[in-house]
Amino acid sequence: MTAPIAIEVKGVRKTFLVKDGLLSKPRHVVAVDDVSFSVPQGGVLGVVGESGCGKSTPARLILGLLEPSAGEITVEGQKILAMDRKARARLIQPVFQDPFSSLNPLTRVRDIVAMPLIAQGTLDRATVTTRVEEMLERVGLSREQGTRLPTELSGGQRQRVAIARALVLRPRIVVCDEPTSALDVSVQAQILNLLAELRKDLGLTYLFISHNLAVVEHVASDVAVMYLGRFVERQPTETLFAHPEHPYTKALLASVLTPEPGLGVPDVGLGDTLPDPANIPPGCRFHPRCPIAEPRCSVERPPLKPRPGGGVECLLVP
Amino acid sequence: MSALLEVERLEVDFGGKVAAVRGTSFTVERGETHCLVGESGCGKSVTALSIMDLLARGARRRAQRLSFEGNDLRGLSDKAMARLRGNEMAMIFQEPMTSLNPAYTVGSQMTEGLRRHRKVSQREATDRAADLLARVGITAPGLRLGQFPHQLSGGLRQRVMIAMALMCEPKLLIADEPTTALDVTVQAQILRLLATLQRDLGLGLLLITHDLGIVARIATRVSVMYAGEVVESAATADLFANPKHPYTQGLLRCVPVPGKIQRDQPLGSIPGTVPRIGPGFEGCAFRERCGFADETCAHAVPRHNAGGTHDFLCRLPA
Amino acid sequence: MSTAATVAGPKRGWRNAGTWIGAIIVGAAAFCALFAPLLVPHDPFAQDLGKRLLVPFWMEGTDPQHLLGTDQLGRDYLARLIYGCRISMTIGVTVSIVSGLIGITMGILGGFMGGRVDDAVLFAITTRLSLPVVLVALAVVGLLGSSMTLLVLTLGLLLWDRFAVVARSTTMQVRNLDFVSAAWCAGCSRFRILTREVLPNIASHLVVVATLEIALAILLEAALSFLGLGVPPPLPSWGLMISEAKDYMFFSPWVIMIPGVALFVLVLGINLLGDGLRDAFGTRER
Repeated sequence: MTAPIAIEVKGVRKTFLVKDGLLSKPRHVVAVDDVSFSVPQGGVLGVVGESGCGKSTPARLILGLLEPSAGEITVEGQKILAMDRKARARLIQPVFQDPFSSLNPLTRVRDIVAMPLIAQGTLDRATVTTRVEEMLERVGLSREQGTRLPTELSGGQRQRVAIARALVLRPRIVVCDEPTSALDVSVQAQILNLLAELRKDLGLTYLFISHNLAVVEHVASDVAVMYLGRFVERQPTETLFAHPEHPYTKALLASVLTPEPGLGVPDVGLGDTLPDPANIPPGCRFHPRCPIAEPRCSVERPPLKPRPGGGVECLLVP
Repeated sequence: MSALLEVERLEVDFGGKVAAVRGTSFTVERGETHCLVGESGCGKSVTALSIMDLLARGARRRAQRLSFEGNDLRGLSDKAMARLRGNEMAMIFQEPMTSLNPAYTVGSQMTEGLRRHRKVSQREATDRAADLLARVGITAPGLRLGQFPHQLSGGLRQRVMIAMALMCEPKLLIADEPTTALDVTVQAQILRLLATLQRDLGLGLLLITHDLGIVARIATRVSVMYAGEVVESAATADLFANPKHPYTQGLLRCVPVPGKIQRDQPLGSIPGTVPRIGPGFEGCAFRERCGFADETCAHAVPRHNAGGTHDFLCRLPA
Repeated sequence: MSTAATVAGPKRGWRNAGTWIGAIIVGAAAFCALFAPLLVPHDPFAQDLGKRLLVPFWMEGTDPQHLLGTDQLGRDYLARLIYGCRISMTIGVTVSIVSGLIGITMGILGGFMGGRVDDAVLFAITTRLSLPVVLVALAVVGLLGSSMTLLVLTLGLLLWDRFAVVARSTTMQVRNLDFVSAAWCAGCSRFRILTREVLPNIASHLVVVATLEIALAILLEAALSFLGLGVPPPLPSWGLMISEAKDYMFFSPWVIMIPGVALFVLVLGINLLGDGLRDAFGTRER
């Protein structure tokens, strides 16, 4: 009954060594701290969080761009780091945030889209050309635009090129790291609609990382809220937006400014202490900013309290 | 008494090639928050910079009227403009890191302007800086004054920028995307702060943003800009209740609103991208993306009044 | 309707008169180098002891057959100057190619791979920087005898450091851009990523380094030839011409002046062109 698992992440931890200056000791910055989750085939897991919470790191780990410090990642039953890179490319592909740095400025659009096909090394030229043309048309770019350089395209068009490049190998999983946050609202809507349409037509699984809750609500079937390297709450989308449980999730939702005049700017009540991934507080990592924290929150590490389709890590929820 | 800031038919072009601002008109009253909203490339930042006379070399500014408290800004000498800037009118920018000098402490940067514009001692200036830092919600202001910009987080830096802008008690504050680089929870805090300060100090606030959510929550009046023109201008409640211009309507449809999202339904979007407009362009700049466009849109477009101070630029009747 | 206007960004480099002067000088030198046999009025090696030290055209008593006069062995000075240009350019370009191949390969590998490879590259660069180029070149040529090939190889093996430093730092910048990550995720081989994604995007910086290295190699060759350890006579290298002329400089100053000015003008031209290229690329990348 339940769909097979597309992405499985077990106990993954990733730390970076950061050196501030010549004389200071290198510090360990924890980007992902013992995180486990899975995404079913055809599902969309949205990961939300603020900058510096480490929400891009799971994406890079799953893509094999980074190696986890501990734990294991399997994609469609295969260990990601043990896979041949060409086979991995046929399975999982990225769409990055910045459509300016994600396309080689000196390569023509059709060559950018052809690159994954050529890298496979098994396809003849004619097949590559037809598949590139099909893909460009699929993402709404003209044949003429295929001959242009990325610098001649707008941000939205560039992001279409990036999507075409990601999908030309017909992968099963696409990791979208903030794919629309560099775009204008009207263009953002076009790209989100395109991604949703492609997912439906091609039966794709998405890992969708964003800081924009509204965007995540629109695309994701499940949402994980990340704070300082941990998923503090994970729920099916409807549940999370209707009944957020973790105080951080509540604060995030409260700070979304919907276009409703007269409501004023909400008081989120989070205080000024900002999270520092190099210096994670003991106990519950959210307690210094939490509006409802109790003394024990600074000592006890909150256990995962399971919910249908997810869980919450807070001492103060039942 | 004349309004705080009056801008009439402001035009800015770059070397006669790109018309960035094409006849923008708006007024900022004392104690009012006026939002300029639009997508990237619509000329909203250029408008702000041209009011402050901070345009890059090669840009030309023309206006039928550009006055601050009834004084014409057009013929002002560089020296007189510099006296006004930072003293009577102040500006804060999107990226606080690049607008603070990394080589000087927060304290010395904050006091510099005051000491240049007013004859006060360093002691008095420092006291005022500490007061203002406390005012913008920074704990331990004495400590912060001695710190360098890189030692502060993004939210703190933006607070410092705001405090710095308020040093000389300006009457007009221009804020260009002040929260775009910040996280949602911090954004809410900064906007709350701006709204409170604006109310308490009776500032005229010209806020430039692309985010309709911010507009709805903070603005008294809104001017929607598209391709260098104000296409619709209204009191905030009017604009959101009764948008008239097809662009405003489209923009409002594009914004995903949490809690009101119909998943599996595509988001509303505006096809195409913002055109680049050269000098001598005629007619409605939105016509190529507009569902209501006909051949008359290629010629002059009338400005209609939709009751009260609500007006818009379109061939469609009110 | 095409809305994409051609990029009308400022091209400061090409607007600058210096760049054009540099380009014209380098172009003329390259032309002389390529077509030397067709341009020269006389055989540069043909001696005529009856016509020794003839004066150039701007002085009195000139021989219209020899525009720039003749040297102490009666060889036509214009012909020797043009052949000397050929030698300078050949040495400059080949040294730059040899050192470029070494330096760029090391720099890109170090910058892209990081870790141990990068440590090794950095060590090689510091080692190389601690060697005095002229002394090592003198020692090698002094021990093994002078020949063009040896000179090119020696200088090439000594002048790669700037290529390596620039290639390494620019590669490190490009490596972190998302299009390189995307190529990695697309399953491209390392070789393909380096040659197709990284190299084209750092090439503009390397071209600038190459111009500087060409100028440096030309000067070094002249210096070594002057000391008698560069190009073997009777090849007409400018350095050698200056060296041979120094005995006659008091009574026939033009014999030392002409190759000296030629050397100065060529190196100046290359440097002007290099500066212009740097500016032109710099604005485009911003």
